[in-house]
Amino acid sequence: MIVALDVILFLILLATAVLALQVKDLLAAVSLLAGYSLFAALLFAGVSAVDVALVEAALGAGVTGVLFIAAILATARRSDAPSDRRRRLVVLPLIVAFVAMMLFASTGLPDRGDPEAPAQLGVSQTYLADSLADTETPNVVTSLLADYRSLDTLGETMVIVTAALSAALVLARRGEVPAWPQRRGGTDPGGGGGGPDPDAPDRAPEAGSAALADPGGHVAAWSPTGESPTETDNEPDPEERP
Amino acid sequence: MMMTGAYPSVVVRVTCALLSPFIAMFGLYVIAHGHYGPGGGFAGGVFVAVGAILPRLTLPEELSYRIFPRWIGPAAGGVGLLLFLLVGLAPMLVGAEFLDYGAVEIPGMAASRVRYLGILIVEVGVGLAVFGAMLMIFDVLTLRDDDA
Repeated sequence: MIVALDVILFLILLATAVLALQVKDLLAAVSLLAGYSLFAALLFAGVSAVDVALVEAALGAGVTGVLFIAAILATARRSDAPSDRRRRLVVLPLIVAFVAMMLFASTGLPDRGDPEAPAQLGVSQTYLADSLADTETPNVVTSLLADYRSLDTLGETMVIVTAALSAALVLARRGEVPAWPQRRGGTDPGGGGGGPDPDAPDRAPEAGSAALADPGGHVAAWSPTGESPTETDNEPDPEERP
Repeated sequence: MMMTGAYPSVVVRVTCALLSPFIAMFGLYVIAHGHYGPGGGFAGGVFVAVGAILPRLTLPEELSYRIFPRWIGPAAGGVGLLLFLLVGLAPMLVGAEFLDYGAVEIPGMAASRVRYLGILIVEVGVGLAVFGAMLMIFDVLTLRDDDA
């Protein structure tokens, strides 16, 4: 890794991030975010994290942009003006305090590649030494993810498939007028009950759909008022994947 | 909402039609080559999904949905997850722990070779699941009211 190159990449990264927040045209913001992911991938590659860089380039700079654009086309292209400028007076000090805290905490981290770092002293030595003999796999990252720690990977895969399924279930119903009655405040314990229903069989499907809508408590609340802004919120973002 | 369908520019159409099979093939390479190089199921699955999404963005619908039909997203997601789970369950049949592939004895194969094979199947499962998830999200985002 070359320090000057890293600094330049970091500056471009910061510039794309700030621009993506400032720009009002959401399509431009999406392209800026894709650029951000690309430079983040370059930084990852710079510290020899090639596997992470590949995933970041494919997901962050590729598919996420397409999904965001699809979401924009389904909603609105321009972001609203900030409703209240005074909010910045609260938010900015919070952000500054958070960044300062993070920078302070980062001084306690071990240097990159430090052989005495706690992460290097534990079980990772065994993995590095035994991976080739145990699994005939030269790429330790792969044998770690798919063999030694495959339970983590299984959980991650489940999260991805579940997230996509929930997105499909929520988004496939958009545009429909909700058939269930508004149940304000009635979402707490009675949602799963359905106890008093059996005597009214013709109401059963309706009650069922209401019970389905309840667990989040959000669906019944947002559908009638305005659905466009919430649609993008409901999209499980692949970027959130570790 | 008119997201999918034939793109007006012939340059874009031809470029995407030419590129997408190679992108998908590169994804398969990344999945299969995870033992030796960067990548594996996650990145490879995303590449294959891009190979499926590009035709949807640019080609006429009857063509792009014939190459990768709509049902293939949920199906691939489920099959991939199931494959992973079954590989995890196989060692339990011979009394070993969940996901301990090396315990399964295949005649003529060393335990390390069985683990190698287990990793490959897991990568394919993860790749299928990620491919299905990405395609599912894209399909449902571009769903139009009339084909719900």
